Amino acid sequence: MERKRIEIPADVKKVESVGEEAEFPFDISPMYEGERIRKNEMYVELGGTEQPGFELVLALPEEEVEDMKVTIVGPDLEEMEEGKAYPYAMIYYVAGSQVETDLEPVIERRNHDFQNYLEGYMHLNQRYDIWIRIGKGAIKKGLKSLTQIAKATMMLFKNELPFIEKIEAVYITEPTMVEKTLNEVAMPIYDERDARVEALHDEDVDEFYSCTLCQSFAPTNVCIVSPDRPSLCGAISWFDGRAAARVDPEGPNRAVPKGELIDEIGGEYTGVDEFAKEESGGEYERVKLHSFFEYPHTSCGCFEVIGFYMPEVDGIGWVHRGYAEPAPNGLPFSTMAGQTGGGKQIAGFLGIGISYFRSKKFIQADGGWYRTVWMPKDLKERVSKYIPDDVRDKIATEEDAKTIDELKEFLKKVNHPVVTGVVRPVDGKKITEGWVEEEEEEEVVEEAVEEAAPAPAMQPAQVQPMQPMQMQLPLQLPQLQLPAPQQAGGGVKLIIKDAKIYVDKIVIKKPEEKKKGGK
Amino acid sequence: MVVIAVTGKGGTGKTVVSALLIHFLSRNHNLLAVDADPDSNLPEALGVKPRKTLGEIREVFQVSRDEMGTMNKEQWLEGKIYAEAITEADNFDLLVMGRPEGEGCYCFANSLLRGVLRKLMRHYDVIIIDTEAGLEHFSRGTISGADYIIVVTDMSKKGLSTAKRIKELSSELKLNFKQIFLVGNRIMNGMGEDIIKEFADEEGIELLDVLPYDEEIVKLDIKGEPIVLMDENSDYAERVKKIATRLVGDGNGKNEH
Ligand SMILES: Nc1ncnc2c1ncn2[C@@H]1O[C@H](COP(=O)(O)OP(=O)(O)OP(=O)(O)O)[C@@H](O)[C@H]1O
Ligand code: SF4
Ligand SMILES: [Mg+2]
Repeated sequence: MERKRIEIPADVKKVESVGEEAEFPFDISPMYEGERIRKNEMYVELGGTEQPGFELVLALPEEEVEDMKVTIVGPDLEEMEEGKAYPYAMIYYVAGSQVETDLEPVIERRNHDFQNYLEGYMHLNQRYDIWIRIGKGAIKKGLKSLTQIAKATMMLFKNELPFIEKIEAVYITEPTMVEKTLNEVAMPIYDERDARVEALHDEDVDEFYSCTLCQSFAPTNVCIVSPDRPSLCGAISWFDGRAAARVDPEGPNRAVPKGELIDEIGGEYTGVDEFAKEESGGEYERVKLHSFFEYPHTSCGCFEVIGFYMPEVDGIGWVHRGYAEPAPNGLPFSTMAGQTGGGKQIAGFLGIGISYFRSKKFIQADGGWYRTVWMPKDLKERVSKYIPDDVRDKIATEEDAKTIDELKEFLKKVNHPVVTGVVRPVDGKKITEGWVEEEEEEEVVEEAVEEAAPAPAMQPAQVQPMQPMQMQLPLQLPQLQLPAPQQAGGGVKLIIKDAKIYVDKIVIKKPEEKKKGGK
Repeated sequence: MVVIAVTGKGGTGKTVVSALLIHFLSRNHNLLAVDADPDSNLPEALGVKPRKTLGEIREVFQVSRDEMGTMNKEQWLEGKIYAEAITEADNFDLLVMGRPEGEGCYCFANSLLRGVLRKLMRHYDVIIIDTEAGLEHFSRGTISGADYIIVVTDMSKKGLSTAKRIKELSSELKLNFKQIFLVGNRIMNGMGEDIIKEFADEEGIELLDVLPYDEEIVKLDIKGEPIVLMDENSDYAERVKKIATRLVGDGNGKNEH
C-alpha cells in the first residue's frame, strides 16, 4: 500500500503548530511507565473499549515531512467533556535516510513506551486497540492541548531514535475521520505487515534470538527462535525475541548473530552453534534448526507438540499435549515428553511449537510434510491449511490408524511417500529408499544385536538410531507379535506369520547380555 | 512503596486481617490489594465484586498468542490486565491472582506477567497481599518480593508450626523482606496469648499483637457480609489500625518506626 499523507477535508476543524515546545506542564520520565489512571481520576478517555482508536507510523520521503509539526483534527482537550470517551488516532510521518517501510512497526511500538513516560497520561495496547486515559491531575497542572502530548512524544522519538531525522504528527479526534482513516489506511497497512511477517524467512535477517527462560529446570536448554522456527513452547516468535532483546539485551532473550551459513537445508549457522555451545555449557556444539535427525534443536519439556520417529514405517508422527491416547508407537505424549525434555539433543524425538507447522522450512532437511505419517485429528485440523495438497490426505490420524500395523496398512493404501521413498522438496534429493518389501508366507526373523551396530540405514549420516531404538523397543515388540521367549537363556525369537513385512531396520537389544544371537 | 504479605495456616484469619488493613490503609494511601490465595475470598471480605483473575487472562493469552502476529505480547497482556483484571473499588484497586496454571508451558507468559506486575506495583504506596502459606506466587517470582511478612496464627500447634515453616521458607526464597511479624488471631484466653508470646520469643519473630476472638466477626460471617462493615471503634478494629500504623504510618508522613 502506498504511503502518503492523510488528506484532511477542508470543512473539518484543525489546529496546526510547528516547532519545539520549550516547556511541558508534566514530568517526562520512565518512572511513569505502568502508571494507571483510575476512573475517578480520569479527565477523558481516548480510544479504549467505547471509542475507536489507533496509532500508525508512516515512512515518507524527506520532503513530505514537516519536522516537529503537529496537526490536531477535531476537538482538542479543552473542548472535551470531563469523564467522556473520544475517538483517537495518532499518526506520525517519519523520514530519515535509514527510515524505511520495514521500520514502521518498530518505530510505532515505541509510541507506547514514550507516551508512558508522560506523567498523567496512560497509554495501553497497540495498533487499532489503543486505550488512553488522561488524568485530572495533568489538566490541573496545565495540560491544555494534545499538541503538548504530540510534541513531547516527538521529542522523545528524536532523542531515543536518532535515525529519525524528521517527524510530524497528526492527531485526530473527529469521529468520522478516525473511522475512515482506520478502515482505509491503517487496517490495510496492518494487514500488509502481517503478510510480510509470513513472508519473512531465516535468510532475510541477520540475527536470531535465544531464549533461556527454561534453564531454571532444563539447565542446558537453549531455544533459538528464528523467523522460520518459532519457539517450541509456542509462545515466542522471532518478533517477540527481537522486542524482548531490545528492552533487555542481557535478559533471557538475546540477539544471536547468525554468522556463517554451514548447512542451508538443515539450518545450521556458526553463530548459532557457538551460542548453543556456550549457553549449554558445552553440552552440545551444533544445532540444525530445520532438522529432525541430525543435531536437532534441544527440547526443554515445554514443547506443544512432540515428533517421534517410527522406524517401522520410516516416518515421523506428531502428537500434541492435548492428545491423551497413545500414539501408534504405543507411547502417549506424556511419556515421550518425559524422555525428551531436559535440554538434551535426542535423535528420534523433537519438541516443537504448533506454529512451526506453518513454517516453510518445517523439518525440511528430513522431508518436512512428506516424511510426516501420523498426527491426531485435532492437531491435523488445526494446521491443515499448511499441509501441501498432495500429501494432506496421506497423513493418517487416529481414525485411520492407532497402531503401527494399522499405520503401515494405511500408508500403503494411500501410497504415502515413505512407502516408495521420500524426495525432499527443498532440493529434490531422494532421502529415503522406501520400504523394502518382502512377501513371504511365513518368516522367522531372529536377531539380537548387542551394541550400537546400526542396521543398514537409509540415511547413515543423519540417523543416530540408538536412542530412539532403545526407547521404543519394549513397545514395538508387541506389535511385532513377539511371543514370550521360548528358550531359556537364548536370544529373542520373532515369529511373524502371514505378514507382509516392511522393515527399515531393527535393533533389538537385550538388557542383560549373556549370550549373543543364536538358539 | 510498602509491600505487605499476609500469610499463615488456612483458616487462621489471613483474609480478615488483610481486609481490615486494606480498609483502613486505603483511606490515606494509594493502595493495591492482591488476593494471592487460589481459594480466593478477599473480594467478599472487602465487599468488592472481582473481575477476571490474572490466571484467566493468562489462559486467554495462551490460546490467542499464535494469532498475535507481530503484536507485542507484553503490551497485549498489560492491556488485558489493566482493562479486565484490575477492579477499581472506591478507595483502592484489587487484583486477584486466581488459580494456578494448567498444563503446558507458562514460562514466557509468566515472565511477561512479572514484568507487567513489577511496573504496575511500583505506582502504589501500599500493597497488601493475602497469600496462602506456600507463598507460591513469591516462589515463582510472579510477585517479586515483600517488605513485611505478617504471619497470622491461631493458638493451635499447627498454626504455629506453619508459622515456623513460613519463616524458613521466606528466608530461602530470598524475598528481601525487612522484617517478619507474627499476629495471633481468634485468641480466646490468656493461655492462648501466652503460648503465642512464648513461640514468638523462641523463634525471634516480633509479635505485633494478639487479636481476640470477636463475636462481631462471627456474626458478619454468618450473615455473609463483608468484614469491612465491622464497627471500626471496636477493640478488634482499633488493634488492626494500630498494626497498620505501625507498618506504614498514618498517611500524614508520620510513622511509628
Ligand atoms: N478474631 C476472630 N474471631 C472470630 N472469628 C474469626 C476471627 N478471625 C477470623 N475468624 C473467622 O474464621 C474464619 C477464617 O478466617 P479467614 O477467612 O480470615 O481465614 P484465612 O486464613 O483467610 O482462611 P483461608 O485459608 O481459608 O483463606 C472466617 O469464618 C472468619 O470469619
Ligand atoms: S521453551 Fe519457550 S520459554 Fe522456554 S526457553 Fe524455549 S522459548 Fe523460552
Ligand atoms: Mg483467606
